[in-house]
Amino acid sequence: MPQLIDVCPLNELPPGGKRLVEWDDLEIGVFNCAGTVYAIEDRCSHDEGPLIEGSFDADACTVECPRHGSLFDLTSGKPKTLPAYVPVDTFPVIIENDTIKLEVE
Amino acid sequence: MATPDTVTTDTPVLTDNDRLRGINDDYTERYGFHDAENYLYKAPKGLTAELVAKISEFKSEPQWMRDFRLKAYEYFLARPMPTWGSPMLADVDFDDIHYFVRASERAERSWDDVPEDVKKTFDRLGIPEAERKFLSGVGAQYESEVVYHQVHEDLEKQGVIFLDMDSALRDHEELVREYFATIIPANDNKLASLNSAVWSGGSFVYVPPGVHVDMPLQAYFRINTESMGQFERTLIIADEGSYVHYVEGCTAPTYSSSSLHSAVVELIAKPGARIRYTTVQNWSTNVFNLVTKRAVAETDATVEWVDCNLGSKLTMKYPSVYLMGERAHGEILSIAFAGKDQHQDAGGKIIHAAPNTTSNIFAKSISKDGGRGSYRGLLEIAKGAHGSRSKVVCDALLLDEDSRSDTYPTIRISEDDVNVGHEATVSKVGDDQLFYLMSHGISEEEASKLIVNGFIEPITKELPMEYAVEMNRLIELQMEGSIG
Repeated sequence: MPQLIDVCPLNELPPGGKRLVEWDDLEIGVFNCAGTVYAIEDRCSHDEGPLIEGSFDADACTVECPRHGSLFDLTSGKPKTLPAYVPVDTFPVIIENDTIKLEVE
Repeated sequence: MATPDTVTTDTPVLTDNDRLRGINDDYTERYGFHDAENYLYKAPKGLTAELVAKISEFKSEPQWMRDFRLKAYEYFLARPMPTWGSPMLADVDFDDIHYFVRASERAERSWDDVPEDVKKTFDRLGIPEAERKFLSGVGAQYESEVVYHQVHEDLEKQGVIFLDMDSALRDHEELVREYFATIIPANDNKLASLNSAVWSGGSFVYVPPGVHVDMPLQAYFRINTESMGQFERTLIIADEGSYVHYVEGCTAPTYSSSSLHSAVVELIAKPGARIRYTTVQNWSTNVFNLVTKRAVAETDATVEWVDCNLGSKLTMKYPSVYLMGERAHGEILSIAFAGKDQHQDAGGKIIHAAPNTTSNIFAKSISKDGGRGSYRGLLEIAKGAHGSRSKVVCDALLLDEDSRSDTYPTIRISEDDVNVGHEATVSKVGDDQLFYLMSHGISEEEASKLIVNGFIEPITKELPMEYAVEMNRLIELQMEGSIG
């Protein structure tokens, strides 16, 4: 049964900002790409590197894994470069009452 | 079965140790020479961000490439040296290397326009002759840059692009940018980061849909100066249904100080395409050869790596194929000779990321005179890659008691409906094999050569004939003992 969890007020995550959210045993990276917010599992599908610690390009809406350089498309979770080849999970983002919320299972 | 007749000979019987000489006994005479240095530019030893920026400036590169290089340099500095592979890695001194040496203004299209001393070197190595006889195109790199480049006119008319990488970036920027560093990103590993920062030379190949390049394209890499670092960057894109065979060879002078070769090679085989990439690595035994090679095979595509490692002090190289599309096929054929004071740490990786994909890894290593050969491999079958089949065979031949062979295979399977086989053997030249051959009138030396040739034949038969002949010649030289 999906549920909504709060991340933070929208004004606390401006364009170009990112934040790590922990829920249950999951770590979720939340990114504001030039006004649109996306959320992905913060674990590279190649070698479990922490994506939130990598280089975030808000204009291209990508994040680079700091461990071996795979580039992930934040809008889909798909890797744009090797060595990762499996997409990471994405989470629907809802803005409600100026608050960023995530839908999680 | 009747007992074979006793063999009598006037020649003294060789022991295991003195039966065989060191690898490439005639290397110094054939390849170990060096030319006087008449360079346009030779960077001082050591690497700085300023030198990285200067390399980019020398090449008049677009801003994105300069930014890429500088970012890669930061990655290189931040990452420690690997602690696995070989204890020899600790001997690599990054401050004792020249990272950029320019021998000529540009890549010429006629050998007559190449600087005379450089041309003489390539004549001596047989490159222009090879081009005349059996190649579709040739690139010749001397130190940091390509000095000669030519491709058959009929291929150019069909839209085949075969250029040195520097020229490709200049003339086909968008095409290069689309694929560059998508297979091996700048932060993939420390040596790839280094290459990404200071890459120079190498080849760019694009083959349009449906075009078959029937004769090989060749690149030859030559180091001349002492304490040199060569960092070529190669990118090959075979578009749908096309075929290309790329062959590369390399040699260097024999110095007492170390040189460093760290290449990055990226291959993309689009649906239905086939790429064969053959390497005959014959660096002198003062060269650290630390290379990253990786390929993607899309639906119904095939990538084959034929990797022969004869030279260098230490080679660490594991060509890999990612089978990303259904029914893609990957093949890695690897030969490694490890002689005195050499460590060949070779192997391959195949990742089955789609259903009904197939692969073979066939690795042969020969160790002698105390050399060390290692097979290091990965076979991975991802969830969803049902119906995949793979076979890995790694055989090692130890020619004396001082030599060493290691095997580090890794297999990760995340799918039930697959078929995977792994075999490994370690052997020596058997006394009974020798006896059988000698009983037919063959000398002990010839018999040893036949046995070793037979051991590697499954791989040398895949080389273009001229290279197979050269490989057999090199093997024969290794096998020559002190008769009489």
